[in-house]
Amino acid sequence: MPKHYRPAGKKKEGNAARYMTRSQALKHLQVNLNLFRRLCIVKGIFPREPKKKVKGNHHTYYHVKDIAFLQHEPLLEKFREIKTYQKKVKKAKAKKNEELARLLLTRQPTYKLDRLIRERYPTFIDALRDLDDCLTMVHLFAVLPASDRENLEVKRVHNCRRLSHEWQAYISRNHALRKVFVSVKGIYYQAELEGQKITWLTPHAIQQVFTNDVDFSVLLTFLEFYETLLAFINFKLYHSLNVKYPPILDSRLEALAADLYALSRYIDASSRGMTVEPKVDASSSSQSNDCEESELRLAQLQHQLPSSEPGALMHIVADNNKEVEEDEETRVCKSLFKDLKFFLSREVPRESLLFVIPAFGGMVSWEGEGAPFKEDDESITHHIIDKPSAGHLYLSREYVQPQWIYDCVNARIILPTEKYLVGRIPPPHLSPFVDNESEGYVPDYAETIKRLQAAARNEVLPLPGVGKEDLEDPQNLLYAGVISRAEEAEAATIKKKMATLEKQYHEELKMEVKVKGSNAVVSPVVAEGSEGEESVDDATKQRIAREDADTSTVMMSRKKRKLYEAMKIGKDKKKESVERIIRRKKELNATQE
Amino acid sequence: MPKKSKGANKDDKMRENKSKSVSVKSQKHKPAEKELKPVEEKEVISLKEEELLQESGTDSDYDADSLSGSLNSDDFDSDIFDSEDDDSQRETKDGESSEDSHEGSEDNEDDDESEQIDSDNGEEDGSDEGSEQGEAVEESDSSEDEVAPRNTVGDVPLVWYKDEKHIGYDITGKKITKKEKRDKLDSFLATMDDSKNWRKIYDDYNDEEVELTKEESKIIRRMLKGEAPHADFDPYAPYVDWFKWDDAIHPLSSAPEPKRRFIPSKWEAKMVVKYVRAIRKGWIKFDKPEEEPNVYLLWGDDSASDQKNKHLTYIPPPKLKLPGHDESYNPSLEYIPTEEEKASYELMYEEDRPKFIPKRFTSLRSIPAYENALRESFERCLDLYLCPRVRKKRINIDPESLKPKLPSRKDLRPYPNSCYLEYKGHTGPVTSISTDSSGQWIASGSTDGSVRIWEVETGRCLKIWQFVEAIKCVSWNPLSSLPIIAAAMGRDLVILNTELGSDEEQEIIKERLHLGNLPESDASVAAIVSWLPDELYGGIKIRHFKNVSYIHWNRKGDYISTVMASGETRGVVTHQLSKKLTRRLKFKIRGLPVCTLFHPSRSYFFIATRKDVRVFNLLETDEPIKKLETGLKEISSMAIHPSGDHLIVGSKEGKLCWFDTDLSSKPYKTLKNHPKDITNVAFHRSYPLFASCSEDSTAYVFHGMVYNDLNQNPLIVPLEILRGHSNGGVLDCKFHPRQPWLFTAGADSIIKLYCH
Repeated sequence: MPKHYRPAGKKKEGNAARYMTRSQALKHLQVNLNLFRRLCIVKGIFPREPKKKVKGNHHTYYHVKDIAFLQHEPLLEKFREIKTYQKKVKKAKAKKNEELARLLLTRQPTYKLDRLIRERYPTFIDALRDLDDCLTMVHLFAVLPASDRENLEVKRVHNCRRLSHEWQAYISRNHALRKVFVSVKGIYYQAELEGQKITWLTPHAIQQVFTNDVDFSVLLTFLEFYETLLAFINFKLYHSLNVKYPPILDSRLEALAADLYALSRYIDASSRGMTVEPKVDASSSSQSNDCEESELRLAQLQHQLPSSEPGALMHIVADNNKEVEEDEETRVCKSLFKDLKFFLSREVPRESLLFVIPAFGGMVSWEGEGAPFKEDDESITHHIIDKPSAGHLYLSREYVQPQWIYDCVNARIILPTEKYLVGRIPPPHLSPFVDNESEGYVPDYAETIKRLQAAARNEVLPLPGVGKEDLEDPQNLLYAGVISRAEEAEAATIKKKMATLEKQYHEELKMEVKVKGSNAVVSPVVAEGSEGEESVDDATKQRIAREDADTSTVMMSRKKRKLYEAMKIGKDKKKESVERIIRRKKELNATQE
Repeated sequence: MPKKSKGANKDDKMRENKSKSVSVKSQKHKPAEKELKPVEEKEVISLKEEELLQESGTDSDYDADSLSGSLNSDDFDSDIFDSEDDDSQRETKDGESSEDSHEGSEDNEDDDESEQIDSDNGEEDGSDEGSEQGEAVEESDSSEDEVAPRNTVGDVPLVWYKDEKHIGYDITGKKITKKEKRDKLDSFLATMDDSKNWRKIYDDYNDEEVELTKEESKIIRRMLKGEAPHADFDPYAPYVDWFKWDDAIHPLSSAPEPKRRFIPSKWEAKMVVKYVRAIRKGWIKFDKPEEEPNVYLLWGDDSASDQKNKHLTYIPPPKLKLPGHDESYNPSLEYIPTEEEKASYELMYEEDRPKFIPKRFTSLRSIPAYENALRESFERCLDLYLCPRVRKKRINIDPESLKPKLPSRKDLRPYPNSCYLEYKGHTGPVTSISTDSSGQWIASGSTDGSVRIWEVETGRCLKIWQFVEAIKCVSWNPLSSLPIIAAAMGRDLVILNTELGSDEEQEIIKERLHLGNLPESDASVAAIVSWLPDELYGGIKIRHFKNVSYIHWNRKGDYISTVMASGETRGVVTHQLSKKLTRRLKFKIRGLPVCTLFHPSRSYFFIATRKDVRVFNLLETDEPIKKLETGLKEISSMAIHPSGDHLIVGSKEGKLCWFDTDLSSKPYKTLKNHPKDITNVAFHRSYPLFASCSEDSTAYVFHGMVYNDLNQNPLIVPLEILRGHSNGGVLDCKFHPRQPWLFTAGADSIIKLYCH
């Protein structure tokens, strides 16, 4: 009898009826693998794991309902139509009927994905939740070179770039950016929109290379969906700002952008984003813009006026509302670089900084045409430079490396600049995504930043009991008012410490007593002189501990024991990695001394 | 004509064709020959030429020559092919090339001249002009002629002359004798010596070696490349039209215009109809369709969100792991692996190697592009649409909470936990130990062939019996009044008198151990076992037909069972000491028996084979009354609880099974407590303790409480791991009959006593 025998006349049931393998699905849908893949990608259908794999372990299983869902997809019919249409064109070309082929090509059937997006993401929040991959992919393709071989058109790359800039402009304008991390892989950004944390990775603005081990058709299918998704999301976001969505760019800046190549294209987008935003801001702001800049703005305003004139009032209202709605974090982010003016040198990653600095309320300009203010502007407070040495130095400003910006952003305070000055090797750049405490190891610089943060908080809001951790901070002691509180806090901490120490001592005592007890039992052996087991040291203690653990694991059921062991292994691994880091640290310290 | 062909065609057919084409050129007025022209295009041209000639009515000879001049490409073809064969034609070629240089007007004169020269050289065959020319092209150089006589056999297979001494005839009709064939070695040496050898070609028609000149080899090279043979030939020379179109008043052709030129085209009309229809039906649109905005407010109203989703639940893809400190472009120095660590990564397997090795860049501008960006993105895409998604509950609990709640070990005291005494004296691994029922003495057997008795309290060795063979198993008689020991070694089971106990007891023992007249035994039994007196120590020696691996006394100390490595009914036998009688089992055993046990109170007999334990009733026969399925791979030992209802079985995979024989035939609990083979298991007679010992040099002590209440399951609590034996393992463990003490026999030839 075969393994899964089913008597004749009895219907399939259970997993056999509920799941089908991929090849079964292909047969069922009468599509080839390529088309099936495209459908799955745009429809968001993924294989599922049946409890019992009826056809064997090496198959991929799809739920029957998923496949039925695909079967009723109008897009499937559309794809088939396109396929037959392609055949027509091909035939016309083969018969040298150029006329017909041209005619046919003008009337090619197309498809749209908007309905699918609505279907997959019924609410806006759903879409935001799944936005990470979308943003990462679009940002990646925005810096890829167009390639004929891979069927990647220039138009698409430009579209990706446009979409990513629009997204960044919105985030920057709304001060929704929360964390930035420069890694080897690229720059990670984390923004918070409607309570959703959205993290994406942008590659460094250096020519990316194509690798051969990548199937581009898969990537492009994903990209197609993501582009549409991001366009709709951007529309929604811009709509919420009362801005016309496909934004009209200033043609002059665009032309400049062509000259400045990829980099200033972004500025376009973001500056447009800035100008499109509150006109109130534009009029009332005390920015010392060049006349050139204001002209630009005027030009843009003219673009905007007919479309947004009736909505202008509404816009202001909406803006006001927003002010109220703004949460604590946004306010902090908005005012981080509030009165600072930045100037970017040529060599710094401009795209990133032009996104980050305005997102945290700073003003920024750069070297090159179309910049809002020039390098010799006296009001510039910080000059971002990434060269071993700066040329002409203005005394009125500080020359810092770009990492300073990112570190300030992550720490939410203005860090002292002396470590980041030009020509120095900056302090380590730490990931803002790591919870140091749970990780088990806190890097030195994290401690320093923590102390600085605490000091800053003390400065800003002198509340009792805030600055407990920063006793050693000399900055703190400068403030006479703070001292007394600090002392108080110190006493409290000392008390705490004492208590913990005492506890520890008691525990140790207990342990010792225990050991002694076992020792006493052991002692007759010593008296007998049969074997010298005199040293009851750490090794035995450890052994005892291990035994304890062993004895109880023996009684576990196999399932629980496996789980326990797996957890143990995970914990050990983590511990080991932390220990390795600490060991390296010790070695480093030793070599430095 | 035949003569000409004879002269022109020298060795192969291709050559013949070429030469013919040459002749054709020179004789344009012979239309029959034109068809032979190899190149079609040229033929057409020549046809036109002919027409023209006919029309214009000029001197044919002159024209033909001028034509050949204008169509110089033909000329080239011909003389190149000529010269290719034969270096005697070099001069011709030269002559022709000089022709090229002049071309045009002087052309025909030159030709004539050359013809004349040719005809001179060509000796008497000047009768036909064409043939003369053909010859002239072929053979131009007189100096060459002197050197080698010309063969005149014509286009005949050379095979005909194979067996002849001559190769053909020269012009005068004399035989041309074949040259002497050099042997291979000579020819090879000659080729080696001669640096120009590669230029040499053997012409088997004339039976001579021909050396190609530099020019000729160049021509060949060019032809191999598919270029025109002559370097100075321009294949794309501007076409010079020979017809003046300007002031012609007559058409070239007098044919009337065809009718179709005056009728409107039917097909065009059809196409027009088609287009009209297409336009009417809207297939062709002239105005571009208005572009709909492709983005709009998709999530304008959230009414749709209330709709119940009819599909399966959407499982969102897991988000990518956020980067840690080590992925920073400028991580703290302690995150960067040292050189040794990096080198060690190289030695790892590909899968184990860390995916990402932290690097440090001192400034932002020095970060290079990340080379795996595309691949990682691609892998993520693959994960998104190819990986099955399952909602998994993450357990975020303390692993310690998984441990079962067991009563504290303190409450379960007393139990053996520390080594108290060591009995040293054996020189080989101690394989077996046994305690006497009073608990005063302990017997041990070792592979060194000695059986010893020790005093438990002091560790004094009381008695030693030395045997030749290694002791497999020792067992003290459970009766306190009968202090004798059974020891198994090789094929023998020896029953030894310990000479302890009182005089009356000794009397009984002596009597027991005396082999008087042995009772008549079965023939089948006699084949397996024979009772002999032990000469050495005055006991009984029972010799078996195979090595004895295990012995066990019954509760009353009268029966002893022995296990041999044999199947069916011969693997286990029982000896009755009082009657000196051996019995075979009445039932068959499946598989090889490992150990046997007597039930402490009933007439049950337990036999453990490798996989399972069977319980037989000794009073009844045949079928086992119970079969305990252990689920173990290989049973090594078993022990029975004094109550008789519980059994523990140790296995060679380090597992211990507790059976409640009343409850089920499956183990009540299986404990995996040893990493290596369990060698022995033991129950305590009075305390709720049991122990296992293993080849990992440890013994494990458990609390095993059996309640009288049948509803309450036995309580098993692991108590202590007893270490102390050095490598080689613990081979046996036994509890003290009265105290909660454990004896362990190690492979390091030491016996240890663990006390509470």
